[in-house]
Amino acid sequence: MLEKLLNILFSSRVLLPDLLFGVVFLVIVAAIAFSQKLDAERTYVLFNVLLISVLISLGFVFYAFFGFYTQYYESGSVLFGKLIYLDSISLFFKLLVSIASVAVLIHVWVVGYKVVGEFYAIFVALVWGLFIMTMTTNWLMLYVSLEMVSICSYILVVFNKGKDNSEAGIKYLLFGATSSAIMLYGISLLYGMTGTLNFVGQEFTIFLGQNPTWIVQIAVFMAIGGLLFKLSAVPFHSWTPDVYEATPTPIVAFLSIAPKAAVILVLIRLFSSLSIDFRMIMAIIIMASITIGNFSALWQTNTKRMLGYSTVAHAGFMLVGLLATNTIGIQSTIFYITTYLFITLAAFLLIDLLALKTESYELESLRGLGQENIFLGLAAVIIMIALVGLPPTVGFTGKLLLFTALWESYQTSGSNMLLVVLIFGLLNTAISIFYYIKIPYFMIFKEPKIGVRYFQIGFIRNGFLLIFLFFIIYLFMRPSGLINLIESLKLA
Amino acid sequence: MNNFLLSALIFLPLAGSVMVLLLPSTYRDSFRWISIIVSVINLLNIISLYNNFDKQVSNYQFVEQHEWIRMSLGNLGVLSIDYLLGVDGINMPMLLLSGIVLLIGSISSFTIEYRQKAYHSLYLLLSGSIIGCFVALDFFLFFLFFEFMLLPMYFLIGIWGGERREYAAIKFFIYTLVGSILILIVMIGLSMSVKDSFFSQETGRTVHTFDFRQLADFKNYIAHSILHPFEKQMIFGISARLFAFILLIVGFGIKLPSVPFHTWLPDAHVEAPTPVSVVLAGILLKVGAYGFIRIAYGFFPDIAFQFTYIVAGAGVISIIYGAFNALAQEDLKKMIAYSSISHMGFVLLGLASLTVEGVNGAIYQMFGHGLVSAMLFLVAGVIYDRTHNRLIENFRGLSSAMPYFTLAVAVAFFGALGLPTLPGFMGEFFTIMGGFQSEILPNWVSMTAMLGIVLSAAYFLWTLQKMFFGTFWANRNQEGNMKDLDFREIVMLYSLSALSIIFGIFPSLIFDISGESVKAFLNGF
Repeated sequence: MLEKLLNILFSSRVLLPDLLFGVVFLVIVAAIAFSQKLDAERTYVLFNVLLISVLISLGFVFYAFFGFYTQYYESGSVLFGKLIYLDSISLFFKLLVSIASVAVLIHVWVVGYKVVGEFYAIFVALVWGLFIMTMTTNWLMLYVSLEMVSICSYILVVFNKGKDNSEAGIKYLLFGATSSAIMLYGISLLYGMTGTLNFVGQEFTIFLGQNPTWIVQIAVFMAIGGLLFKLSAVPFHSWTPDVYEATPTPIVAFLSIAPKAAVILVLIRLFSSLSIDFRMIMAIIIMASITIGNFSALWQTNTKRMLGYSTVAHAGFMLVGLLATNTIGIQSTIFYITTYLFITLAAFLLIDLLALKTESYELESLRGLGQENIFLGLAAVIIMIALVGLPPTVGFTGKLLLFTALWESYQTSGSNMLLVVLIFGLLNTAISIFYYIKIPYFMIFKEPKIGVRYFQIGFIRNGFLLIFLFFIIYLFMRPSGLINLIESLKLA
Repeated sequence: MNNFLLSALIFLPLAGSVMVLLLPSTYRDSFRWISIIVSVINLLNIISLYNNFDKQVSNYQFVEQHEWIRMSLGNLGVLSIDYLLGVDGINMPMLLLSGIVLLIGSISSFTIEYRQKAYHSLYLLLSGSIIGCFVALDFFLFFLFFEFMLLPMYFLIGIWGGERREYAAIKFFIYTLVGSILILIVMIGLSMSVKDSFFSQETGRTVHTFDFRQLADFKNYIAHSILHPFEKQMIFGISARLFAFILLIVGFGIKLPSVPFHTWLPDAHVEAPTPVSVVLAGILLKVGAYGFIRIAYGFFPDIAFQFTYIVAGAGVISIIYGAFNALAQEDLKKMIAYSSISHMGFVLLGLASLTVEGVNGAIYQMFGHGLVSAMLFLVAGVIYDRTHNRLIENFRGLSSAMPYFTLAVAVAFFGALGLPTLPGFMGEFFTIMGGFQSEILPNWVSMTAMLGIVLSAAYFLWTLQKMFFGTFWANRNQEGNMKDLDFREIVMLYSLSALSIIFGIFPSLIFDISGESVKAFLNGF
């Protein structure tokens, strides 16, 4: 008994940032419950509380990552009786999630969204769920954290009450619940086969190997269904465009990167202990995601829908590194996600800043905005070519690393399937330029309807966007720092 | 060994581009001067390089090397990307051509009035990346500049172009991007198969490199890597090296452009504004040819040797098909665009012959065609500026109204159709001679190519006859607009004419430079 208590006490000390979120969540809920009316001023206080807590946890993770508590992270520490596993790679992903949440909160502030107080409570719970998800090696904890993330996301999506919003929300809920159910079924199958809930261990690998391959493939596919749903990979992608269109942009920006990063980490862990050949199914998922995402995006006239489909395609690219099944593949996936973090947040910030002027997310409304504000036009070009993956942006480096890993894997295994994926992925890049370039195209080529009227969006907004642009270009010029950092992660 | 002249060539235009961008719009009249001054300085720099070029050696000269990116790939070794520049006899002529044509282009840009700041900023960006593409000796760096040429070109065609500019711009972009992606696949494969012999020994790890010098040497291929010459591994039933070579041929064939990947070119040319057409025809097409020589042939000589029929065939088909298409065109600019396709076919033919004459001829043809096609597009631009019309049948007897212009046109047309003492002749002569001398190619290939010369004489002379001889007449009563050349146009057209004649009479200006490198290049076969 005492030993267990001591273990919990020890574990809690290591998990300070996570606990902080729990406390902040309770504080915000209490503040909302006990204050009579929540006017703008008090909401602003809540916002600050949240921002500061996220910043503190970011600082903490940062600090932990670079030396503090090294003894617990370096070799990975098992906490709470094997339910939670903390190592440097989960810290790195916590770092990503924290950066994304700070950026999104600043996005909310910069663009001037009026949000109700509950938003902050839900948001902090969402971040908390993601933090837990980065540390799961256990099916049960995975399911709990995934549901925590899902439920928070469902609520966030319907926060702006509107017709579209409810439709998107209910779609999201139904698809999410279905894929959760599929996932649960898959987990139960895997549990039946292996007799363990832990998915990173000798036991799991060995027992899994004793079953017929095709059954294991089906079970694993079902078990990762919920994860693929969060990743919006085909065939679990159909919620994406509607939700992206109807949801407030900062939330979409957050949903398009933070849950995906956490999910990818879980997939990295799962695949490294999978004894069966899962590459065929992965290859199909990847090719379907990239193709369906890109081709559907071609016809979109709404920028948010378009970016929604683009994230489907990017989900495919994120999985490419896992298909390569080698260390460099995993490293390049992590690199890709890190860079995608900056690119996608910048993309959503950009269209939100443009929408400030036009109050619309239609492509048609972007006419001539690049002529009226050259900085935004330039930013649009840089961000969109980064999404395509062209130099001189970090999008290119990310894709180059992914495909290098894939090539290496092809060279060692000689499996033609990998080469097909490689060529397929690269040619899809050429297709994707067609729709990405539409945004700068409308902004710069098309004449504005009523003459050119120059406008400014303000110093702080420009500066905030500039930070992202800086990273997009700087990481292309000097990727070594980030690569060395990723290399230093101990891969499970 | 490090000097900074080549870097200066790249970074001066880039700095100029940023400077134009940062200057307030009230200085709008100075933007054109900035691009001219930058181009002049670059040209002077290139001429000094040309003078100091050691013609006796085949090595890369003026080499500049800095470590750029070192990524560890775990147990696969290290990926090393260098900032590596240098010139040899193959890219020195291209560099000289770029200097000349970019200066002409910047003078020609004088007439651009619409959104000058953006225009000149993009133009300088394009200049920097073109030069970077020619002098880069690291595949990654080459690819970087190769891709980077797309964006400014896309905007230059798409904003300042003609009526169907948006269609032409996106078509250009997508075609070229597909090509460059095919090149990217090969780039990844090559770097994974080649190790840097020096650094690998020094560090004890496998250092994957993009260095052109290392990629061209079979000794550096890692044993059992997929692109190793003796590796028997198959991709879709063909050997991996053959597969890579096909990808390169298609990739650079789009840029060149060679039939059947040429369809973007007429559109892009017709819609592009005059200076952009000049740069596009004068230099950008040569990037494709340069890639053919340096990368496709340089790194895959064993496959290129087997593939020589296909390359020569593509060249001859381009020559004939382009020429027949040019015969049928009513639009002057489109006619010139198709003639470009036809003339670039000779480059492929000369290269495929794998003889000293052929390859030297191909390089000379690239240079000569660069000068002549720049002139041809300026000619089309002169007519278009005056009448906003380019149809051949709308003009007659221009020689009596525009004598100075007619003289320049005559030099350009005869230069293109291959009159001796003008550059078209030397290029075509040497490539066809190479074709005949070649032991691999049958004679009928070169004989068919000669038909292309006859056809080009036909369409150029007919055009000359229709537009410039007879009684003076212009459609829609535009006779009054047909004024002779102004000072700026005289400077551009006559300096190009003079250069054409000089290089036509003294082809050794190019052959001396390229000779040693070509010899070394052919030793690999």
